[in-house]
Amino acid sequence: MNKYNPPRMNPSSLRSRFATRFLRTLSKINAQKPTSSSSPTEIFRRYRRIKAAADKSMAYSVRSRRTWSRAMLWKLRTRPCGRRSVKTSTIIKSREARKTRHEKQNKNTTTTTTTTTGEDGVVFGVEADELRELVPGGEAMDLYNLLDETAHYIKCLTTQVQVMKKIADFYSP
Amino acid sequence: MESNAGTKETRSNLTASDGGEVTAFESLQFTDEIHRLILAPTTDNSSSFTALLELPPPQAVELLHSPDSPKLIAASPPNVEDFQGSFRFPSNSGLIERDARFSLFSGEANNSNEKRNSPESKNVSANPEKNVKSEPAETESSQPLVSDPTVEKRSIKRKDRENKVKGSTKKSKTVANENSEDAEKLPYVHVRARRGQATDSHSLAERARREKINARMKLLQELVPGCNKISGTALVLDEIINHVQSLQRQVEFLSMRLAAVNPRIDFNLDSVFTSESGSLMDSNFPSLVMPAIWPEVQGNGHRQQYQHQWHLDTLQQPVWGREEVCNNYITPENSLLTYDSSANSATLQANHLKMEL
Repeated sequence: MNKYNPPRMNPSSLRSRFATRFLRTLSKINAQKPTSSSSPTEIFRRYRRIKAAADKSMAYSVRSRRTWSRAMLWKLRTRPCGRRSVKTSTIIKSREARKTRHEKQNKNTTTTTTTTTGEDGVVFGVEADELRELVPGGEAMDLYNLLDETAHYIKCLTTQVQVMKKIADFYSP
Repeated sequence: MESNAGTKETRSNLTASDGGEVTAFESLQFTDEIHRLILAPTTDNSSSFTALLELPPPQAVELLHSPDSPKLIAASPPNVEDFQGSFRFPSNSGLIERDARFSLFSGEANNSNEKRNSPESKNVSANPEKNVKSEPAETESSQPLVSDPTVEKRSIKRKDRENKVKGSTKKSKTVANENSEDAEKLPYVHVRARRGQATDSHSLAERARREKINARMKLLQELVPGCNKISGTALVLDEIINHVQSLQRQVEFLSMRLAAVNPRIDFNLDSVFTSESGSLMDSNFPSLVMPAIWPEVQGNGHRQQYQHQWHLDTLQQPVWGREEVCNNYITPENSLLTYDSSANSATLQANHLKMEL
């Protein structure tokens, strides 16, 4: 018997909570689909479900302490059927937003240099809007709370990516 | 008792010289006396202390500028309980000297009585406490201490005070500027305005808000790798936006990978956990999840061999899908592969602490 004592970490940390939930959901998803997993549509469907599961488990790990988690949970609950349409439309929207953002960036670099002495609210106008699009639930927040939420959201996203990467690496040698 | 006697002495001394010439030099003498008095009773008798403290500045002021001694004394009701700052008495004398030199104080002394309850009044008293703690050596920062007993009485939002401390301590450049500002503050000045800045409540509130936002931006800069070198808030925000988008894309790709890679494999959570625990440094997974999945594991143990074969077969078919994905989004994949989890976990822990603070 190997007595492997790995270094102990916080069992109730965000990472452990997310990992536990996510793995449970993943096993559920995989248990539900024993057939025809090779077709691309099936894979795509499963990808959607896994992504939703990842987001949901992340939001659940944070509970309702953060605005973005509440917004994400609400989104996931109220739009279960329109997932596909929502996904494609969001992809299109994000692409358009990216293009417009690149266009705006050129303008912004000129405008921000002149308005740096002014109010911060004015300078962050465009970028704050983009950030609001990215962070769930960011539409109704002022700049300060938006930055706060963004910081926490980035932290949670990084843990999510790490855990999922570990899982994916484990299962695809 | 000694302190009370000391105060009486000061009063007698000061009133004796009241009739005499009131010049800056005499104020120096007074400050020396005050210095001595303040240094002597360094006890915890706060009431006498503050009485001591309160007396010198108004007395000094009064002697310097206007013979309205009763007015000033009455005007500064000793709210002794509020005064809890650390006492830097030697510097007080220096402060009084400087204030004696700058005659702005006299005007303020009269105006401040009217201004006391104005909404624009900002309490600077918290500043010296924090200043003293952070920059004890600087006499400039400890100057406002003298204003403590009188200014403490006004209660203003602490955040504004702190913000003004930081803003003013960072941006006060010349001693003259500092002195002119302090002279205005002492003892009834409320607003710590930087030189050349407006002192409306609006602009001050906005400045406080801006400083809060800048603090948040710094925190975000630390979170997002590669943002420390960028100067300029708009560019930093762009970087943050890029980072958030890349993270979201990474989540999508990883979920796609998981969907493609694991069509048939049952998730042997215990094996996943034991491998993860070493890398993730989370060892309590097995204890949490093992009891739930033991029956599954035993049932699936013999199936693992089949699963490996299936694993290979199923990998080939979705490869074309993955290739398409990979061609378009190579950089996120590379970032995935080169993602240094151990280093990031360490930084994440540090950030955890910061966030939870």
